[in-house]
Amino acid sequence: MTSWQPGRILFLLALLLTSAHGISSNLEECLVLQSPEGSTVSCHRVTKFPSPLPADTVHLSVEFSNLTELPARALERCQRLRELHLSSNRLQELSSGLLTPVSGLRVLDLTHNELRGLPLGLFRASAALHTLVLRANQLQNVSALWLWGLRSLEHLDLAENELRVLPDGLVLSLISLSTLDLGYNLLETLPTSLLMGPRRLQRLHLEGNRLRRLGFGMLALQPFLRVLFLNDNRLTEVVPSAFQSLRELDMLDLSNNSLSSTPPGLWASLGRPARDMQDGFDLSHNPWVCNEDLQDLYRWLRANKHKMFSKNDTRCEGPEALRGRRLLDVAELESL
Amino acid sequence: MGDVEKGKKIFVQKCVQCHTVENTGKHKTGPNLHTLFGRKTSKVSGLLCTDANENKGITWGEDTLMEYLENPPKYIHGTKIIFAGIKKGERVSLIAYLKKITNE
Repeated sequence: MTSWQPGRILFLLALLLTSAHGISSNLEECLVLQSPEGSTVSCHRVTKFPSPLPADTVHLSVEFSNLTELPARALERCQRLRELHLSSNRLQELSSGLLTPVSGLRVLDLTHNELRGLPLGLFRASAALHTLVLRANQLQNVSALWLWGLRSLEHLDLAENELRVLPDGLVLSLISLSTLDLGYNLLETLPTSLLMGPRRLQRLHLEGNRLRRLGFGMLALQPFLRVLFLNDNRLTEVVPSAFQSLRELDMLDLSNNSLSSTPPGLWASLGRPARDMQDGFDLSHNPWVCNEDLQDLYRWLRANKHKMFSKNDTRCEGPEALRGRRLLDVAELESL
Repeated sequence: MGDVEKGKKIFVQKCVQCHTVENTGKHKTGPNLHTLFGRKTSKVSGLLCTDANENKGITWGEDTLMEYLENPPKYIHGTKIIFAGIKKGERVSLIAYLKKITNE
């Protein structure tokens, strides 16, 4: 439970009003709240990184502030910091020692900045970090070495960057990783070793890339995967064994691709009769050719239609006679 | 107006990591949303809730959620939610789903 002290807030608000034209940023332009755990400091549209920070700061938020850099010793004073939110600034690089003082840090949010890379050793003291968000930066490549030290990391978000190619073993050291988000990059292929490392990856986001083909090896490394987003790519081919190992999959999104057919055997381990997918699947907005090659898919659809998203947007592109028909309707007719 | 089914997919894609929606759902990193609509941002027992959310004193409904989900850190300063925001069309569907599921 949190508590806040009305007197302190009013005092700070009064200061804020009277210092509305302040030129240099200091702590008085930020909102500071007390709780039994420590201080929460929240700064919006400040011109400089706040200082001095209370020694008991546990949650620090400096967002929407156009900051282009941080002082190298910015966090030296707040060694009890648990969460650091720096979204929507203009940070281009971070100093290697920035996080050394805050070994208890759990969350680092760097969404919407201009980072092109991370310095080696940035996370050398970050064994407690469980969430790292680098979404919407300018990363054109990423190195497994940057991520060294993150043995507790559960959530890694690299979405909305400019990644074209991923290195082998990107997440090799991230043994606790549960969610990997690589959505909305420029990925055309994926290394087979991509998912090597985490003991039990649960969620993989690959939507919004330029993938053309889904092979076997990569997903086989993570048989406990529960959620897989592959929508909005350029998939024309999925090999028959692609989903073979995924016996716990609850959500599969293949919408908005270029699939005209899927091979027999692809669906064997997913959904009924094996087990219901808890959330469902989406095959919509693909150019399905509804001929005899789809028999296996029709059979699977009939057994799993209760988990099918976007039924009305899942239609045949061909042959001409069936163009525009709902895939599910064709599947049900086939059983008669 | 929003597509409830599409909203469910968005929820799985972007929200389910930190939130549950069922009646018996537990709190994860964020609160269970089952009684979201009509609820004032307030203390939730057992959690270190976002002080910022609490002090804003708003009531969650379609309009407030439309604004909030566009860009949470902007709407309520210092909110703990890590979130880049959802596009308008998707927001409408997500809120339609939340409205439906939290009424069941």
